[in-house]
This record gives sequence, C-alpha cells and structure tokens, in this order.
Amino acid sequence: MRVVLTTLLSHYRRHPGQLVMLLLGLWVASALWSGVQAINASARDSYARAEALFSTGLDRLERRDGETLTRDDFLALRLAGVPVSPLLEGTLEAADGARLTVIGIDPLTLPGDSGFATAGSTSELTGFLSPPWQTRLAPDLLAAFGLARAEAEGATPRLADGRPLPPLTLAPSLPPDTLVMDIAAAAALLESGERITRLVAAPGALAEAPAGLTLTRADVLVSPGQLTESFHLNLTALALLALVVGLFIVQAALGLALEQRLGMLRTLRALGVSGRALVAALALELLLLGLIGALAGIAGGVWLARVLLPDVAATLGSLYGAGVGAELRLPWHYWAGGVAVTLGGLLLAGSGVLWRAARLSVLGLGQAQAWRAGFRRQLGLMAAAGGVAALVGLALTAWLARLPPGEGLVAGFGLVAALLLTSALWLPPLLGVTLAGLTHLARRRPLAQWTLADLQLQLPRLSLAMMALLVALSANLGVSSMVGGFRLTFLEWLDQRLVADLYLRPPAEQFAVIDDWLAERPEVAERLATRRSEAPLLAIEPGGDEADDARERHLPVGLYGITPGETLTPSWPLAATRDGREAAWAAFRDGAAFVNEQLAVAEDIAPGDRLRLEAPGGEVRLEVAAIYPDYGNPRGEVLLAVPHLTERFGAPPGSLGIVLTAGDDGTALTEALADAFALGRDSVMDQREVKRIATGIFERTFTITRALNALTLGVAALALLASLLAQAGERRRRLAPLWALGVPRARLGQLQLAQLGGVALAVGLAAVPLGIAIAWGLVAVINVAAFGWRLPLHLFPGEILLTLATAVGVALAAAALPVLRLWRTPPRALLAEEAD
Amino acid sequence: MRHAALRPRLLAALLCALALAGCDEAPPAGSGAGFAGLGESAEGYTQARPGTPLNFPEDHGAHPDYRIEWWYLTANLEDDSGEPLGLQWTLFRQALAPPEETPPDARSAPGDWVADQLWMAHLAVSRGERHAVAERFARSHSADQSRDRAGQAGAVAHPFRAWLDDWQLATRVEDPDADTFERLRLTAFDGEDDARVGYRLDLTAEGPLVLHGNEGFSQKSADGQGSMYVSQPFWRVEGEVVLAGETHAVSGRGWLDREWSSQLLGPEQAGWDWFSLHLDDGHRLMAFQLRGGGEGGGDYRSGTWITPAGEPRALAPDELALTALDTSSVAGREVPTRWRLEVPAAELDLIVQAPHAERWMDTSVPYWEGEVIARDRESDERRGEGYLEMTGY
Amino acid sequence: MLDFRQVHKAYATPQGPLTVLDGVDLTLGAGESLALMGESGSGKSTLLHLAAGLDLPDAGEVRLAGRAISSLGEPDRARLRRETVGLVFQQFHLVPSLSVLDNLRLQARLAGVENPAWSAELIRRLGLAGMERRYPEQLSGGQQQRLAIGRALAPRPALLLADEPTGNLDEATAGEVLELLLELVRQTGGTLLMVTHSPRVAAPLDRCLMLSRGRLTPRNAAEASA
Repeated sequence: MRVVLTTLLSHYRRHPGQLVMLLLGLWVASALWSGVQAINASARDSYARAEALFSTGLDRLERRDGETLTRDDFLALRLAGVPVSPLLEGTLEAADGARLTVIGIDPLTLPGDSGFATAGSTSELTGFLSPPWQTRLAPDLLAAFGLARAEAEGATPRLADGRPLPPLTLAPSLPPDTLVMDIAAAAALLESGERITRLVAAPGALAEAPAGLTLTRADVLVSPGQLTESFHLNLTALALLALVVGLFIVQAALGLALEQRLGMLRTLRALGVSGRALVAALALELLLLGLIGALAGIAGGVWLARVLLPDVAATLGSLYGAGVGAELRLPWHYWAGGVAVTLGGLLLAGSGVLWRAARLSVLGLGQAQAWRAGFRRQLGLMAAAGGVAALVGLALTAWLARLPPGEGLVAGFGLVAALLLTSALWLPPLLGVTLAGLTHLARRRPLAQWTLADLQLQLPRLSLAMMALLVALSANLGVSSMVGGFRLTFLEWLDQRLVADLYLRPPAEQFAVIDDWLAERPEVAERLATRRSEAPLLAIEPGGDEADDARERHLPVGLYGITPGETLTPSWPLAATRDGREAAWAAFRDGAAFVNEQLAVAEDIAPGDRLRLEAPGGEVRLEVAAIYPDYGNPRGEVLLAVPHLTERFGAPPGSLGIVLTAGDDGTALTEALADAFALGRDSVMDQREVKRIATGIFERTFTITRALNALTLGVAALALLASLLAQAGERRRRLAPLWALGVPRARLGQLQLAQLGGVALAVGLAAVPLGIAIAWGLVAVINVAAFGWRLPLHLFPGEILLTLATAVGVALAAAALPVLRLWRTPPRALLAEEAD
Repeated sequence: MRHAALRPRLLAALLCALALAGCDEAPPAGSGAGFAGLGESAEGYTQARPGTPLNFPEDHGAHPDYRIEWWYLTANLEDDSGEPLGLQWTLFRQALAPPEETPPDARSAPGDWVADQLWMAHLAVSRGERHAVAERFARSHSADQSRDRAGQAGAVAHPFRAWLDDWQLATRVEDPDADTFERLRLTAFDGEDDARVGYRLDLTAEGPLVLHGNEGFSQKSADGQGSMYVSQPFWRVEGEVVLAGETHAVSGRGWLDREWSSQLLGPEQAGWDWFSLHLDDGHRLMAFQLRGGGEGGGDYRSGTWITPAGEPRALAPDELALTALDTSSVAGREVPTRWRLEVPAAELDLIVQAPHAERWMDTSVPYWEGEVIARDRESDERRGEGYLEMTGY
Repeated sequence: MLDFRQVHKAYATPQGPLTVLDGVDLTLGAGESLALMGESGSGKSTLLHLAAGLDLPDAGEVRLAGRAISSLGEPDRARLRRETVGLVFQQFHLVPSLSVLDNLRLQARLAGVENPAWSAELIRRLGLAGMERRYPEQLSGGQQQRLAIGRALAPRPALLLADEPTGNLDEATAGEVLELLLELVRQTGGTLLMVTHSPRVAAPLDRCLMLSRGRLTPRNAAEASA
C-alpha cells in the first residue's frame, strides 16, 4: 500500500503545479468557509454571554414620566416588599479611546439565578462589595488597556481621564466591552450619585408595575441572537457559495491529476495491484491532501475572520445593537466542523475520480477514441442534472408562491441555489453547442476554425473553472444589485423620514419647558415631538365584520409616536393604505395606527385590520390605517400620533424635531437653546449629521457582504488561473505544431487570449440574467423573510457592464500568465517539448 | 451566643455562594482560619470581653464596631386546631471593614451606595412535614446617619426596630419614654399564592432580659474567645402565620437571642448543637456544645439554667452533658435528631427529640433548625418544648 | 534551395555548453532528396529545425529559398515556413480538434494556397478516402502518419523536411508510407530533407550524409546498408 501511495504521489513531484492548485483550491474554499463560520461562532458566543448577563432575562422597571430613578426609589420599593434590584449603566472611555459599557450591580438584591452567580468569577463577595472593589471583565477587553492576560488580575488600568479602575478580575463569560462592578464603584466612576439607570426584577416576580413605573417584561426584550439569525444565515450562504467555488477548483485539479495518471494506474493494475487497493490508495491520498488543505484553510479562515470581525461587529452593533467582541472566541466544535466540512467537500469533489479509478480498464483499449464520446456523455449528464436542479427550483418557486410573505427564508436560499446550480450545470453543454456551431460557421477561415475547435477541446478542462466564474459573477451581480437598490431606497427613505432641520433630545424633566420655549421662537416653523413605548400586541382582528376570527397573539411591539403636522405628512412614505394617503393621515390624526412593513409582513396585517394592545388603562383597540416602510428596524412597530400615544400608553417624552423657517440655518437657535437650558452642544443634532450617521451605518452593514463577494470572485479567478496553469504544458505541446506550420508566436498568444476572453464574455453574458434573477430572489424572497421589508428591484447598467468587464478581465488576467510564458519560451525549448 | 458560630459561617458561605457558581460547600473547618474565617484576626474591631458593660436600650441596636451580630427569634406555637407550628426569623449583620477611628460626626460622607455593613435575613415556618424557608440580603453604611430609618436594612435601639426590606421586628410601644423592647411586632412574608409564607405576630415580654455567661460575656472555647450574649426567652406570641398560602391564627412562646462579637471561635471548632428549651414548669434552658475547642481538644459545652422569674445560672462545661442517641437522614446527611440532655444541678435528665426531621434550612449555607420536644428520660413524661440548631453535619 | 554555411550550434547544459553543429556546410538544390543519418543525439533534429527556420544558428548562415533566416524576424520566418516548408514529424502532431480533412488542408489554408482538387487527390492517394470527417485519434498509426504527410504536402512546399517519418511505424507500414512520400515529393517537384537512422529508408534518396561530432560526412547509402 505504501508503495502504491508513494508511486501515486510521485506524480505531484513531476507536476508540482497540480499539487499547488489542489491545495490552493482546498485552502481558499475552506478558508472562506471557516472564516465566516469563525465570525458566526464568535458572534454567537458574544450573544450567549450578553444573554447570560442582567440586561436580558430580567424584567425592567423605569419611571413612567421618563425621569431618572434614584436610590430612594429603590429603597422605597424594597421597604414595601417589592423585590427589585438597582442597575446602573454608563459608558467610560478607555485610554485607547474604546467606549466601554460599565454596569454597576448590587449582588445582594440581584435575582440570584439571573447571571451574576454564573457570570462571576471566583473571588469573594467582600472584595466585590467593599473598597477598592473589583472590575470584572472578559479577557477580550484587556487589549483596550494594553494589558497581557498574565498581568491582568489585580491590575488597576487608567481610563482616558486618568482615573484608575478598581482592580481587575477576569470573568470570561461576561460580554465583550462590558465592565461589571459593584454599584458603589460604578456610581463613583460615572459620578452618577444616587441615580440609577433602571430597576430589575426576576422575570414574573412582579404581578404589575408599581405606581409611577413602567414594567417591561424580559420576554419583550428580544435577544440579539434571534435578531441577528438572518444576518448570520446570509453570511453562511455566502460562505457556502465560496466553498462550492473553491471545490470547483479542487474537482478540476483532481480530474487533471487522475487523467494524467491513468497510464500509471493501468501499469499498477497490470503489476498486480487490485482495483480496491488502488481506490483505497487514492482515497488515502485525498484524505492526506484534505487534512493539509483543511488545516491551512482553518488557519486562513481564522486570519480572515480576524480581519473581517471588526466590521461585522460594527455592523451588528449598529444594526441590531448587539455587542460582538472584536476578538475571536472559538469553541472546539468550530475546529472539528471546519475540518469535517473541508474533508466532506473534498470527498464529494473527489468521488468522481474514485469512481472512475474503480472502473478503470486494465487494458485501456479504445481509450484514445473514447474521450470525445466521454465528454459528450458528460455534457449530457450535466444537462440532465441541470434539468433536475431547474425542476427543484421551479418546485421551490411554486411552494414559495403559496407561502405567506415573510416566510421561507431557507426555501428562498434554496431557490437561489437551484438557480445557480442549474445555470452552472447548463453552462458547459451550452458552450459546447455554441462552439460547435461557431466552428461550423468559421470553416472557411482556418485559424478561426482551429481556434474554435481547439477551444472545444479545452472545454472539458475549462468548464469547471467557467462554472465557478459564472456562479461567482452572477452572485456578485445579484448581491451588488440588491445592495445598490437597497442603498437608493434607503437614502430616499431617509430623506422622507428626516424632515426636521434639527433634532433635540431634551432631558425628560425639561421637555415641557423647552417645548414651550421653542413654541415662542420665531425661527421655529414646527415642532415634531416623538415618543416611544412598548406594549404587548394581544390580537389582530381582520378588517370587515368577521371579528370572530381574530388572531390571538402575545407579541411585544414597539410603539412610536410622531407629530403628523404639515411638514411630516407629505413626505412620510406609506407602502399601503386603504383609502389613499389623505384619508390615512386624517384617520391617523384621529387616533388610528400605522404599522411598519416588518410587523405587517410577519403578522399578515393589512390596512383596515384592527389591533388589540395591552395598555396601562386596559386594552386598546386601534385601527390600522396604513403600512409604512421602516428599513433598518429589526422590530415590529406601531405608529401613533404623539397625543394618542401619550394618553393611551403613557409614553414618556422622547426627542423633538425642529423645523426651521425657510432661510434659517439654526445656529442661533442651537446656541440659544444651549445657553437657556444648559444643554450640551451634542444634545442638538443637525439633520445632515443624522443622515451621515445613518448612511455610515448602512455602508458598514454591507461591507462584509461586499468583501465576501469580492473574495468569491477572486476564488473564481484563481480557479480559472489554476486550470490554465495546470494545462499550460499540454497547451504548449498543442501549439507547437501550429507554430511549426508557420503561425507566429504572437498570433498564437493573441488567439489564446481571444479564446479565453470570448468564453469569459459568454459566461459574463450568461451571468447577467442569472444575476438579475438572483437579485430578484434576494429582494423579493430572502430580504422579506429575513428582515421583513421588500425593496423595489433596481437594475444598474453600470453593474452589468462591470460584470461583463470583470468576466473578461478575470479571464484575461488568468490567461496572461500562461500566454506570457508561451511568449517567453525560447523557440528551441518549445520545439524540444514538441520534438524530444 | 447561641448561634455565634453558625451565623458567621453562614455569612462566609454566603460570600462564597454569591461570588462563585457551585460553591455549595462552606470552607472546610480547621483550615487555619477557623470556622469560615471566624478564627481570622479581628484587628480593628472591638473585642467581646468579660466585664464589658451592657446598657439597654442602647444595646438592642446594632454594634458596628463588632464584626458580627444577630437578632434571632424562634417560637413554638399552636394554631386554632391545636396543631403545633414552629417559626424562625433571623437578622444577621457583618461588618465589611472595621469602623473608622474618627467619630461618626467627623467622618466624610461615604460615597453613594458605598457599604460597610452586610445584612442577611432568614425566615422559616414549619408545620407537620411542611417546612418553608426564605432569605434576603442587603447593604448599608454605618456612617450614613440619614439612612438609620430608611436604609434597606438596619437595627435601631430606641424605639426598637430591626429590619431588612419589608421584613421587620419593631416595637409596638408608642410611648417613646417607655421600654420599647417590651412589646414587639414581627412581620415578614415571602412568595405569592400557594408559595406564600410568613407571619404577622405580636410579641409580649413576660419576663426580664437574661444575660448569659459572665454578666453577658459568653465564652466559646477553652482559650477564651467569646461573644456578648443576651436573650429574651419569655415572649408570649400571638398572631397569624401563613404557610402554603393558608393563614393560621396562632399563639405560643418565643425566644429571642441577641449576640455580638468580633472573634468567636478557635480554628478547630467544626460544628455545634444548640438547644433552647421552654420547660412546662416555667424554667428555660439554653445549652450548647461546640464540637472541638474544649479542654484537650474535646467538645466545649456551656449553658444557662433560667428560673421562671428570669434568674440565670451559668452552667460550667462539666455541669452539662449532651449525648446524641439517634440520627435521621435529612437532605442526604445523617443528623442527630434524638438527644439525651443532662443537667444534674437542675435534676434534669431529658430526652430531646425532633418530632419532624425535615427541618433542613436550604439557604446559602444549609443547616438544621427545628422544633423539639423534651421528655423525662425516666418517665417519658413531656417536660417542655423548644428549638434545636445543628451545623456542620 | 537550402544552404548551410559554417553553421555552428551549441546548447547550454548543466555540464557546460554542448556543441551540436560545429561548422556544417550543406547545399541542397531544388528537386534534390537527401537523407541525413547519425546516431541519437548527434544533432540531426537540430539541423532539421534550423533548416525549417524553427531555430537560429549561433554562427554561420542558413539560407532557405534564397533568404538568410537569421536576417528575418519571427513573423517573416513563420511566413517563410508556412509558404515554403512542409514538416513531417515522427510523432505526427496532428491537431486533435480538427477533422481529417481539416488537418490535411490546414497548412495550405494557413498559407492561402489551398487547392481543393489537390487536397482531394492527396486524400485519395493517401488512402484516407471516406475518413475525411473522422478525427485524428480515430485513425491508426499509419493513417495518422499519412495524414501528417498529406498536411505537409498540401501546400506543395518547395522544401519538405521529414524527421523520422516512419520511426513510429511497423516495417510493412513504414515501407508503404515511405514509398508514398517519395512518390508525392517527386510529383510536386519539391526538395526533400529526411532525417532517419535507418539505411533502408535512406537508400532510395539521391544523397546520404552522416552527421557525426557536429560535422557532415558524405556516405554511400549502399555502403551503409551493407
């Protein structure tokens, strides 16, 4: 066996390029896959840690009037027998500028099973409770203080303002960017005096909110894990795509290595090696290569994840408010899974090779004549398999059409996958037919005829790389169309939503005074107050008379109050109304509600339906007058006019939009506001600033998507390059007779470039409709299911041209190296290869 | 000093339980720091010594210059139908740091939320096989004068009030010039609906305060460590008790222990067995043994024989014999629930037995605490009732 | 037709430069046929490649159809080769992607001198009739070599260079193919330079030269076969 294996492997000593290509394919495929998995695993670890903490899993109490709770509130409740615990939250700046969340807790009253016991480390409570106290933090955070793990325990690093933190204690289960300490220490650092952020209680410990407070149940607070699930699914799908593209390379390399070793295999069979032993040796070779590739891939993946993670963390933070550590934390199953997926993929890609080796005829009679028929049969099989994939896609489409909107995320991805697979499988047969036709047409022009005929000959080798290119190109076009369309829609929507010139968030106790003050100012044209609250949605009653089939729910929804004045109503986008915009706004002013698209899609709500919501004064019934698009919001939301929200749900004052009279730039107002109410400069925000921040968040959201797409395209280019390099020697032998027959080398080089450029152009042309179909699938199926909003499908001619140019560019770039080598090969060497 | 050793141990274990997951076991005894750190240096704190004068009502309140302190009430009650009922309420204080040298008035105000005192309270009600337990914790600062009456927990001497959250033991006497400790009300409830447990009881003292040991100094080991230990064993108790959501009108007898100290035990003392008995002839008996720490490494025993008029007679170690006769299996441990208690000087030879062994206190640190019935060993005649506490099993 | 004047050619090898041709003089007139013999590695193929303009001499001059190949750029040499030279290789080197007919007329069409009648005649004469639509790998070895000869002769080249054209064939087939080759060369009036190691193959040709240690020496074919 060892001899057989050594003999088999000796092939790669002669053809190191093939080995490199094989390992490269394995490496990139598993690197992209394991990189994304590392990001996902790391993010999930962060969510798990965040969920283990106090912020989730506990009921929250805040003051109904929006003012700050103090220690007296806490003491009064405790002395009345209400089991609440104080929580103080704030941010501090580390010396390196990182913003850290500080959570001050009272471990003596914090509900026991809610986290401190499990989130804590092993030092004693006395140390935690008494000066100099302790700072508990996850090891991820040490970097922010420039500390090594070994010197961390007990260190007292300084903050940006020079004050030291209480001595550090490591608690790996704490969420990233979070410092936990006794409330006394936190109050001192935050200079918050007796103020606390909120009171918490064990879930369900309080039957109702104490007087003057609002109670938010733990189950209303959606955990980041749930919110971000779809985002991670998107990443996984992209990674899977990269894996498949990488496996194309592997399959191509394995096929080539087998083909060139057919003679060797026959010889070995003839020398008495059994077919079974031969297959076993080949499988062993695969396993060996797979292990090397997987390990290299995981190393590459971890590196990639380290590079991408900060962007992902920023995206998740801005999109969902989920804290994700910028340091990788990988569980053991990540490593095992990475190796398993790579090996599994390799075996899948190599199964064809093993099968062919098992059926190898010892004599090899008729082999020379068989390849043409073999390739024809292969094309036939591909066409048939593509047909099956197309049928699966059609079935999924039919099934999706019957599903309510907003469902079928996995089916949506399945549809896109079926689409990609169908196109990839049909590509080589289509290219074959096209080339045959073209060859026939070019029969009067010998060089053109030769070029096309030769291209047909290369097709078996090139088809896999071209399939990879097609998949990568169309995915790229699809995703960039989706992102581009999203961007346009989002910016337009921002313009419609952000109509005020200035945004102000007054302290709750000053709200009324500031509002009155603003009312007197001549430069203020309109004040747009907003408020927010929460309420459980109890039931949805369909419009019309059949109130008996009301759908019972117990779903937490956000309530958002706006001022439907003359500034806002003309531009506020509405996706659907019952009797037109005018009627919808009139109803809204009279107390009807709008619901956002997310909620409408998830709960199948249409204008005219009625919602039953739980409110402090009992149930409230609201008619839905319109549906509005609400991009970027992960939650379902019900929109009400501020007076109604205040009256029925007791929502505390929120922010205040200020519409200025024409021509006023607001500078004087901002300054007057700051002077009159001792507000910080940053409590007033310019509309442009808000837009800038929102756009920034948006751009970051798709950074990772774009990066993965570009990497996938890069992998496809590598696949092509690797295919070309692998057959470069053989190509030169093919070209040499032609050169000997009197075709100059330069002409031969041009022809080669034309061959590849032409095929790539054809692939690019095929990728355009496919990319548009993918964009449609993303926009109309996947986004609706994942985020709850539907986007118009935008097509960008620029993107399409870019796709075509990329296809040709990638092909020419990949072909350039072999052509250059042909060009630089001395004639004698060319001939030597030909004639030796 | 009845729960002297237990309470600090509880606290130490509480520290442990809160600070780390799965620290079910208290630190092992004899580890060199004494029982759960009770043998550790009490430097900076006032030491309990023989001859320390006691002043009331001042000494009903907290003593923050001592490290540990408790207000510990047990009661043997009967409900309307004559069914026996037992209850326990404890407020425990431990200082997190020695008091500052400067007098309270001259100290700078502590930061908000800063604490130097840790408080813990236990509640237990038992009836037949049923035994319900709850516990709570709080913090305070001894220099935070403004919180004397509004803090989350505290103990004020006059008018008397000891509390944690809404659990409190406070005077019912409205005349501030009278002895407000004479008549108290105990209120503590926990849980909702079927799980509701608690009591609202009126306590009336029917005898004087009793000073244990040497004028209130109770020695805890042969080498002299000890505590200040005062009891009020003559409470008449009336009111209502809620158990499993059912309210019972009750009446009976109660016993309140007050004890404070800074360093209680020698390092080798591993656990104890503690009795407080109301005898039917009006006598009261307090007896304990600390397992380890006696002469030559044996058990250290002590007690007080109290006449119906409240005159105490301290019992020397050799005037008292405690013999475990029988054990029960409770919460996976073997606990002695049948004892022979001999006080020859009082012509007592009693069999003290817990009618229900299921009195395990499943709190931060678990221990056994429950009602007992005392019978004459010879005649098997019932002689009285009381409470037994056992730790270290 | 073909002139070598003091042609030197050496290759760089790991053991130092290896001189292959060391002052070769050769003149081949139009319509002449010459057999070039020599041991393996004696430089026969190199001489042939120089004759075809596939390679350039280090020193000396190679003139093909009156033009010095060293003075021509690659495109011009390629053009000269396309239009003047026919090449027959030992390994046939047919274009696998083209049919028999397309292979046969490839060079003629590249040179723009295809004569369909001549192509058809070649097909017939070479015994490939009925196989025009087949692909090279579907032919036997003899058929493939005959196709290669046909490809070289289709443009009626002034000079036919053949490198061991029968080396891969069995004896009977070799004789048959050789006979056909000579007959066709004669018919087109071309000049023939054939590399071979077989005296029997060399015998029917006008002249026979021996390449040894980089130099050419005349040799009697009959002598060699003896």
